[in-house]
Amino acid sequence: MSTVATTEALGGERSQQRTLRIWIGLLGAGVAVGLAAWVYQLANGLAATNMRNPMMWGLYITLFMYFVGLSAGGLIVASAGRLFGAARFKPVVRIAVIEATVAVMIAALLLIPDIGRPDRAWHLLRYAHVTSPLIWDLTIVTVYFLISATYVWVYTRADLAARGSRLALGTGTSAAELRRDDRLKGILAAVGLPAAILLHSITAWIFGLQIARGFWYSAIMAPLFIASALVSGTALMILLALVVRKTGKVSFKDDLVRYLGGMLAVFLAVEAFLVFSEMLTAAYPGAGFEADPAWRLLTGPYAGFFWFEVAAGLVVPFVLLAVPRLRANPRWVVAACVLAVVGILIHRVNIVLNGLSYATVPYPPGVSIGTAQPVGQTSFAVSYFYHPALIEYLVAGGVICFGALVFTLLARKLPLREGAHAAASASPAPAREAGMSGENSSG
Amino acid sequence: MSDRVSPIDALSPVSRAYGEIAPVSADPRWGMVVDQERCIGCWSCCVICKSENDVPLGMWWNRIDTVGEALDTPRLVNGELEMHWMPLACQHCENPACTKVCPVDATYLREDGVVMQDPQRCIGCRFCQVACPYGVRVFNWGRPDRPTDFDTGMVAPRPVGTMEKCTFCVHRLAEGQVPSCVWSCPTQARIFGDLNDPDSRVSRLIRERGGEQLLEERGTDPRVFYLPPRRKRGLEP
Repeated sequence: MSTVATTEALGGERSQQRTLRIWIGLLGAGVAVGLAAWVYQLANGLAATNMRNPMMWGLYITLFMYFVGLSAGGLIVASAGRLFGAARFKPVVRIAVIEATVAVMIAALLLIPDIGRPDRAWHLLRYAHVTSPLIWDLTIVTVYFLISATYVWVYTRADLAARGSRLALGTGTSAAELRRDDRLKGILAAVGLPAAILLHSITAWIFGLQIARGFWYSAIMAPLFIASALVSGTALMILLALVVRKTGKVSFKDDLVRYLGGMLAVFLAVEAFLVFSEMLTAAYPGAGFEADPAWRLLTGPYAGFFWFEVAAGLVVPFVLLAVPRLRANPRWVVAACVLAVVGILIHRVNIVLNGLSYATVPYPPGVSIGTAQPVGQTSFAVSYFYHPALIEYLVAGGVICFGALVFTLLARKLPLREGAHAAASASPAPAREAGMSGENSSG
Repeated sequence: MSDRVSPIDALSPVSRAYGEIAPVSADPRWGMVVDQERCIGCWSCCVICKSENDVPLGMWWNRIDTVGEALDTPRLVNGELEMHWMPLACQHCENPACTKVCPVDATYLREDGVVMQDPQRCIGCRFCQVACPYGVRVFNWGRPDRPTDFDTGMVAPRPVGTMEKCTFCVHRLAEGQVPSCVWSCPTQARIFGDLNDPDSRVSRLIRERGGEQLLEERGTDPRVFYLPPRRKRGLEP
């Protein structure tokens, strides 16, 4: 597979351009549909969704924490790689930091359709209430986004300058400036790693500090969120790196895929251990505040989700990545990554569904649903079956399409290959078309 | 709110005297006692709450849970059928879980112990609803659906996309009147008063009959106390 980049000929280039145009067109259509769906939701209120009082958070919040988690890959590879000196990550660092920036942006955008009064979002600044984990989270999401975006710029700056791009913001490629880059990368790594850990912990605390919810109120939530973020973030990063390699924008050997796969195996093992520890502790008493929701998850109506998460999301990918012979084959690594990415999504679904779908005061008739029901149907529910409405899928899909669009454009326009500036600093290359890639043929 | 004539002024002196909160200390801390021995599960309090506060269809600030198999259906305990009711509305906690998590301080604890909600500040994130252990907060999911074409309540209706909940009828408290659920209860199962006054009826009942807080172990310290039914109403299965 590593030869794909070198055999990419001009004919392939043309069909690739066409594929890219179709892809961008599809994403654009997705964004348009999502926007239209959001306008519909604004006009009808959140009644247009399937969320109700007995299940007040749904797809948007689930995907919010999922995308917060997906942003982990970037800063872990960039920061940990830098701090602990893993130079082998170099070819994928830029993809990783772009992934982090885009994922955290998607997460933040997903909060907008979730709130009932987006027109009052400015209240979050005007009346910020410091004891609310939501305020902590918005702060760290903003900080993390800025760090990631800075990362992207610092890593690509010299190559942009060599191209003569305005995105270099007037910086050049002198030896002193390259040395400053190196210093900046060190500082960013030192700030980025704790910021990443805080980001996942604080997102966990939105759930983990709720004394009303037996399934959430646990000190393991923060470590668990860090672990699941590492699993999904790393898996997505491997997938994105392989996709981008197909286009010839980067090149790396399969050995790196094998190495990243090994890392993912470790993350999966940690995640599996934490899930096991959480479930055992909660379920062991057999009944009560923690045990009731745990047993509902193990044997209740949503048990299928949990066992899917365990089998397809943890065990199978771990085996695929732990066996050296399988890990050496990128196809198996890809399969494991896809399973891990889906598995963590289901893990997030389980957290929200199981935490919220059962009334905390479990007596009939239960919590009032919140919208007028047809005659003959109850207005109350002790447990409420939630599945996202079409409008929720469309709005969330629109946000994700927008993120994918931003990622595609960034990956397309930014120099992902390192080292151009090393030569450029010796003999400045003639300024090529600003902000345009055009280096595929040199692969 | 201000353009409305207070219906309390229109009450007959007898009704007015019936709803009077008295006596009250200089620094009242409002609380409620719910006598489950007396409650007959008639939902009068829930219905008057809806009209008093103009709560739209599908939403209830106040409800009556059945401690039993299903709504108004007993359950089998040790070979005997057993059932009682648990009227449930905001517990007006001393240590509320909801106020802490609100990102914009739209829900807050008043000096007199009432947990209030500011519908003009609320952004509709529903974090308070997630945090509340009692499931008594209700959200305006869509445009309000009402059986009448006009507002019926004694308070202003809340905008779409915001949270609302029981306020202990603050508008009535200001007039020295008990909340409408207390006023309307046909069996006087709800008693309202000042918890800061050790001689008030609520304080005495809590002391003498062992008032219990719902989900006491959560540490929210509710200001609503339940007096458990004293005898089991056993019926042959």
